[in-house]
Amino acid sequence: MMKVLQSFQATWDGLMASESRRDLILAAMIRVVGREGYKETSVADVIEEAGVSRTTFYKHFEDKHECFLAAYEVLVEQVFAEVITNCNGSQSWLQRMEKGLETIVKLFALDPELARTAVVEVAAAGADARQMHWDAVARFTEYLEDGRELSDGRELPENISLMSAGAVSGLIFDELLAGRAAQLPAMLPDLLFAMLVPYIGPSAAAEEMRRVAAAA
Amino acid sequence: MPAAGGQKRERWRPPRGRHRLPPEVIARSQRERLLEAAIRVVAAKGYAATTVADLTREAGISRTTFYAMFDDKEGCFLAAYDGIVDALVRRVATAYEGEDEWPQRARAGLAALLEALTEEPEVARLALVDVGSAGPAAQRRFRAAMQRLTPFFDEGRDFAPGGRNLPANTSRMAIGAVTGLIADELTEERAEDLPRLLSDVLFATLVPYIGPEAAAREVGEKER
Repeated sequence: MMKVLQSFQATWDGLMASESRRDLILAAMIRVVGREGYKETSVADVIEEAGVSRTTFYKHFEDKHECFLAAYEVLVEQVFAEVITNCNGSQSWLQRMEKGLETIVKLFALDPELARTAVVEVAAAGADARQMHWDAVARFTEYLEDGRELSDGRELPENISLMSAGAVSGLIFDELLAGRAAQLPAMLPDLLFAMLVPYIGPSAAAEEMRRVAAAA
Repeated sequence: MPAAGGQKRERWRPPRGRHRLPPEVIARSQRERLLEAAIRVVAAKGYAATTVADLTREAGISRTTFYAMFDDKEGCFLAAYDGIVDALVRRVATAYEGEDEWPQRARAGLAALLEALTEEPEVARLALVDVGSAGPAAQRRFRAAMQRLTPFFDEGRDFAPGGRNLPANTSRMAIGAVTGLIADELTEERAEDLPRLLSDVLFATLVPYIGPEAAAREVGEKER
């Protein structure tokens, strides 16, 4: 009898592809952490949300922390994939930046749990998680580099893209920490101003801000 | 680890026997020692690994005294954190107010901030990078602390031509850019390089108000 059960289990396991259950766990981790906070989240919460067994969880991950890091990596790739889908080579730098920013704020507004995990809770998940967050910000920052071309030959500080990214992520962080993910799309004009101003100055950036506000 | 070992325990104790220190003076000094101990221990061990026992041992106070002052580790850490921030803001304000024109005021304030952070890299890391590990309450304190710098930035509105028409969030943007630059340096363990960041943080502060050209001019002024 036991053998029958075991072989049934093995068949069932084969049917339910192991990879997809891993994905379920990762998605659950992102949701639960965004809802409850990283410190408050337990493995029990995650497996309940994912609808998998404890054994399945530990087959894939050592512990909550390792699972979170894997989930965070997937999250970052998802956000990047969304951004890249909406930006393309035929757009000007300005258009790409605007589209990219718009994609992120809309995504965050639609999925506040993901947003909170991505920006706020990651800080509570240890130094390696913070490093991943930092690396993700740096990846977005690389896209800003081409903005130098708009500077009309003026020499700009080496760190200018980091200033731009810091200003934008500071504003987004404040909104998410206050639980106002839904407000983010309305802040798009301000966010665009923050991103552009180190490159093109306040009057040109304010013009872009007004254009985006009028289009909304 | 500074929290370990017995000799710290002996470092300070009130005079034995009958003494004339009023109880509120003793309580205040115990509180100060505890807050200083909290910063040292959390900076060394990390917030998650720190226990109330670590804090009482490092401060040389009893558990009873601890719980008379704070409900838990978090309450104690937040109070200590507020202490760091107060000291930093006071130092920035003093330097800032010692100058006249806004760009010079900003330069002096930022230089004082970088100097203070360089003197105590562990405290700097704790204040700007690791604070997130203590949870959302600590993060809110961090953001609130940053907002206390807002008036220094917003003077740029009066200084800049057309500054009144800038977005209401301009000071928050500048603060985000400055903290981003500093946190990047601290994350990369380059606290000793912080003073060299002055030209960048000054540029980041000035640029939303007066634009890249004028900001670069102001930054270059004293450097050459």
